[in-house]
Amino acid sequence: MNNILRKLISRYYFSFPKNLVYMLQASEYDLGEFFAWYWRTNDFRTVSKRKSLVKTPKAMVLLILSWVILLSIYFSSLFFAIITAHIWYLIAGLVFGPVVLPYILVLVLLVMALLQIPLEFVIINKAKKRLLKNRALRIAVAGSYGKTTMREILKTVLTEGKKVATVPSNYNTPLGISKFILSLNGDEDILVFEMGEYYPGDIRKLCRLVNPDIGVITGVNEAHLKKFKSLENTAKTIFELADWLGGKPLYVNGEDLIVKNFLKNTSRNQEHYSFFSRNGLGKLVVSNAKTSLIGTSFDLTHGSENKVFSSRLLGLHQIGPLLVAIDVALKLGMTMEKVIAGVGKTKPFEHRMEPKTDSAGVVTIDDSYNGNPTGVKAVIDFLASIKGHRRLYVTPGLVEMGSRSEEIHREIGRELSNVGIEKVLLIRNSVTPYIYNGLIDSGYSGEVIWFDDALKAFASLPNMTVSGDVVVLQNDWPDQYV
Amino acid sequence: MKNIAVIFGGQSAEHEVSIITAHIPIIQSLEALGQFKVFPVYISKKGEWYCEEKFKEMSFFQEPDFEQQLLKFKKVNLSLNNHFKIIWPGITQKSENIDIVFPAMHGTNGEDGSLMGLLRFANVPFVGCDMASSAIAMDKAVTKQVLSAQNISVVPYVWFVKSQWEKNREKILDDIKKLNWPMFVKPVHLGSSIGISKVKNEQELLNAVEVALHYDNKVLVEESIEDLIEVTLPIIGNENPELGSVERPLNKTEFFDFKDKYLSAGKGQGVNAQYSQIPAEISQELSEKVKELGLQSYKGIGCSGIARIDFLINSKTGMVYVNEINTLPGSLYHHNWRKSGVSSVDLVKKLVVFAEQRFEEQKTLSFNFNSDILKKFKGAKG
Repeated sequence: MNNILRKLISRYYFSFPKNLVYMLQASEYDLGEFFAWYWRTNDFRTVSKRKSLVKTPKAMVLLILSWVILLSIYFSSLFFAIITAHIWYLIAGLVFGPVVLPYILVLVLLVMALLQIPLEFVIINKAKKRLLKNRALRIAVAGSYGKTTMREILKTVLTEGKKVATVPSNYNTPLGISKFILSLNGDEDILVFEMGEYYPGDIRKLCRLVNPDIGVITGVNEAHLKKFKSLENTAKTIFELADWLGGKPLYVNGEDLIVKNFLKNTSRNQEHYSFFSRNGLGKLVVSNAKTSLIGTSFDLTHGSENKVFSSRLLGLHQIGPLLVAIDVALKLGMTMEKVIAGVGKTKPFEHRMEPKTDSAGVVTIDDSYNGNPTGVKAVIDFLASIKGHRRLYVTPGLVEMGSRSEEIHREIGRELSNVGIEKVLLIRNSVTPYIYNGLIDSGYSGEVIWFDDALKAFASLPNMTVSGDVVVLQNDWPDQYV
Repeated sequence: MKNIAVIFGGQSAEHEVSIITAHIPIIQSLEALGQFKVFPVYISKKGEWYCEEKFKEMSFFQEPDFEQQLLKFKKVNLSLNNHFKIIWPGITQKSENIDIVFPAMHGTNGEDGSLMGLLRFANVPFVGCDMASSAIAMDKAVTKQVLSAQNISVVPYVWFVKSQWEKNREKILDDIKKLNWPMFVKPVHLGSSIGISKVKNEQELLNAVEVALHYDNKVLVEESIEDLIEVTLPIIGNENPELGSVERPLNKTEFFDFKDKYLSAGKGQGVNAQYSQIPAEISQELSEKVKELGLQSYKGIGCSGIARIDFLINSKTGMVYVNEINTLPGSLYHHNWRKSGVSSVDLVKKLVVFAEQRFEEQKTLSFNFNSDILKKFKGAKG
């Protein structure tokens, strides 16, 4: 009873406006996502569990405006109550103020967006002009997954012989990329762009801005499936990069079955596509590939040369992307020695299959930024290759999988079971029961442990592990999905 | 689901350490295990008993005003009438019967056997050492007496109580002077190295005794082992105990004091997380000797459930001495067990099983003896 009452009055807490603005920001001002959260939530007191409001100018303006709106409602209702001598005006104002606040905020946001359009137009045009003068080679990376890792690999390897600039993470919209372009010195040899896709046409728009010389397509999967509706739409959007490049070189992930199927049913000319995989890329042939908790190594035959490469990245699936960087580097005239040194410097990027060993001797593989089915499969394949360790797999499942959610999560359960993961720690939510069903379907013999939320699971981990254990933290749900 | 009460805090110099042990790893692990309903029972420094859901989070006790917040809660009553029942008094009185108790008390008024005595009266199984072994281990001098009676080597020592010190100081000093300098002066009942000093001459000795008598009315003076290697060995189990890893604390200061033991521990790691070598880099031979003496001592004072045996090794002579026995190692020494392949969850699970086993065994003993002495008794006059 007490709790229900608290939920009802949680809109009237002092923190309510701040929490609204936080959630707008967390959902990247996507109104659909924001309202999905708003209508689902009934307790607004504990909203920002993982992160907190980042004080950007936009967020601060919204926060100040929300207080201005709220206070104006309160004062005008007080004013009416006084002049009409009806207390009901005041009560109505106090009660309904916070209720209407989110809708007024959204209207404000729409107005801000309208005002922003011409401003963005100016910035983007300025960036386009600046880029015309820039002589650097432009590499564009597109795909549903693996973009950041690809970008980091390219940067690390090519930096051995060239001056490379890359777009920082989460700057993958036209405005973000424009800001990046405007920050360049102009003396770069290579620019690497990570292209984000949310709606059909997005990649084409970015290509128009960047005009890439080389493209890399890392793959297609169910990421953002809710927005794209079908994998066909996702693939089409990502292949806007291929269409834009025309006859220019394009590297395509040859391990990706969705890409392969998509290309089978299309009339595209694929002559200039280079398919990469763990086995090789064009004339680069891989043999003797090995992976462990320390990293990955392989022999590479290039014409008459045979060299050993090693990287600190985990998993054989990393070899394909490494080959892309090796191929680009060699074609740009870098020596084999420099390329080997560059590959040797590649290491896991933050929260992406990043291993850490604690003082108790437990290896935690932080894969919390990996929330896509292809990445999950890669991690499970990697765990399968780890011998002599007890393995614990912690996950809240994946978000935005649309109609394919049940199938994907069941498959994850089946794979975990087939690989014989010793313990699976699941966070209670709408999708983890599918993982559980998948585990049960395939006769899982390990232990399943349930947690009410991810933070509780993380807190319990030190109590459940011993020296030598390998723990995978797979995906972390942002607050708007919790 | 069984109800388990974790009892911690208490009127002891190690009150705070007990709060840490209760949470890291006991409550956290019991919660992660998911097989018990956990009742965190906190005994305040004033000796008042509370039991609230909020106590499951250690952060509650880290709030600066937690003692004020405590006043909002109801003190609980206990019913010990052949059961252990927690009662929240009031108009809507609530009570919970506890199936098993997990004592997490360090030091006096808890680890010393007094709580165990109470729990035996309540006829409830409890984790860890029983009353007698707890009481023996709590007194460093008695521990040495019991161990040396079983030919387990201990460092030469002298002990005395406050009144003897006040009356026969000269005689005691004569006895002490038969030992070799430098020496350690220790209050016999305190753990966590509180009130312990190392002394090199008579003046330092007098000061140290004064400090020790401030904490305790019984004091132990013992020879210090030079070329010292300190190691410790955690042990769990009843009839067939399991050994943890021989651990060597790598202390920063001259000996392993309170600060090293607890305050330097890493965040969230519980006590004793750092400054340790596990397993200790000592010879195979020494390590075997430590394990053998460890088991003998564990059984020698009648431990069950869990304990930790501390050793002093003279690295020149290779002599191994048992120094003291701790019947509730801080944070259960879970960092050592983790390195030995036992996770904290498995550790608490095992300890609960050991507690239930011991309880079942004790039940088979007969405490009743049918006698007709009352019938034959003819009255006080005889």
